[in-house]
Amino acid sequence: MSIRRLLVVMATTLATAALGACSVAPQRATPPAASGPPPRQAAAPVAIPKAEPLASIAHAIEADAKQSDAETNGKARAELALDATRRANDCIGRAPQAAACLYGSALALGLEARVHPTRAMGLLKEMLENLARAEQADAAFADAGPARVTAQVLLKAPGWPIGPGDADKALAAARRAALLKPDYPPNQLVLGQALEKSGDSSAAQEAYAHARRSALAMPASQDRIAWLKDANQGLVGK
Amino acid sequence: MINLLSTALATLVFCAPGYPGGAGDAQPYLDQFVKSAAAASGWPAGSLAAIYDPTEAGGIAKLESPSVALAFVPYPFYVEEAGKLHLAPLVQANVANVGTTEIWTLVGRNGASLAPASLAGFTLLSNAGYAPDFVRRIALAGFALPADVKIEPTGQILSALRRVASGEPVVALLDQTQMGAVASLPFAAQIQVITRSPPLPVALVAVVDSRLPAQRAHALQAGLLKLGEAPGGADNLGTLQLNGFVLPKLPQMGVSP
Repeated sequence: MSIRRLLVVMATTLATAALGACSVAPQRATPPAASGPPPRQAAAPVAIPKAEPLASIAHAIEADAKQSDAETNGKARAELALDATRRANDCIGRAPQAAACLYGSALALGLEARVHPTRAMGLLKEMLENLARAEQADAAFADAGPARVTAQVLLKAPGWPIGPGDADKALAAARRAALLKPDYPPNQLVLGQALEKSGDSSAAQEAYAHARRSALAMPASQDRIAWLKDANQGLVGK
Repeated sequence: MINLLSTALATLVFCAPGYPGGAGDAQPYLDQFVKSAAAASGWPAGSLAAIYDPTEAGGIAKLESPSVALAFVPYPFYVEEAGKLHLAPLVQANVANVGTTEIWTLVGRNGASLAPASLAGFTLLSNAGYAPDFVRRIALAGFALPADVKIEPTGQILSALRRVASGEPVVALLDQTQMGAVASLPFAAQIQVITRSPPLPVALVAVVDSRLPAQRAHALQAGLLKLGEAPGGADNLGTLQLNGFVLPKLPQMGVSP
């Protein structure tokens, strides 16, 4: 048990650390006009324009998540989590039922869980609830982001009875994401991981191959490089 | 030479097959623990290090390394590998909300026969499935598990229980925490207890292959036993959900360094 509990902390930290990389939107070659502010320093206070489109807020939270992935400094991560939480609260305050706000709030909770691993179980639970509501509001938002991130959380979080991790439900969520947006590489990547975890290596290989084909069909970007790397690793069973 | 031995770096390997996790960001927790343990033991600062490996193979490989002197392992791992790795228990973990021992429970589908022979051809899934010797000889001692039962490790015990409940030829061996949570499952009514283990140690710190001089081992043992009273020790123990350590009391296998 002692080691098990220790692992909860470890796994939660790692799981939440892994969420950002998988959940963020692609770094689009041409960012949407409403994609909001330029990249920010973690410590810099951010004024959220009152009229900022909701999707833009979610996009900014995704940017926080991506920046947090690359950040090794705990204080900087904490500031990114705070920033994401502030944005999420602002969004939820304006439109509590909007998929963008619920999705953004879920990502912010993931960042908070990363910073506070001892509180991570409760935060992950809340994260999953928000993702479920986001999926209900608009399943296609962020390239089927709600289902995709749900799958990622369920795959990486510690399993029952300690945490919400559930390989069966992860596979179901990954299938929903891949069904909705089959050519978005992260959806096929998470499907591959879920299939692999459930023991269906053959189907996992198909998903990784699909992810690779889809990524190759996209314009050059850092995301494309990362997706190809992940797909190739999946294909060789790493 | 004596001085060198007393200050040489000793490495403690945390190994826990069957449970999720990796090293990564967890290292600070390990570092805090060993720093506190070394201080409580009167060891020089920096003379105890820790590393973590979540896999059986990785853990064994690390423990075979001559540079590793100590292991923090779950009891099933200890049963399986103590002979090969020459593990000598130093202390037994006292775990928050569990204690120093736990009971393992074999569960199957409700309504099915409880007789051992009825499990012929079944698959037994467990977090401890990597340690078949522990499963057969220790956890299920006194229960004549048929020889053809396949014992397999799983990190997905919930999936295993769903298979049990759905009537597949599967049984699951649950640790105490898992068994305590079965009642909360929506399909709990489909699960029944087949047999239980006696109380068994949860986890141990052990000396590997006599790589720690007896004097240092005894100092560490004493330090770990009083770790909760040391400055900061309780906090570090709490981070690992530990209440502290006690002297090892192992069924049949008790050996002191």
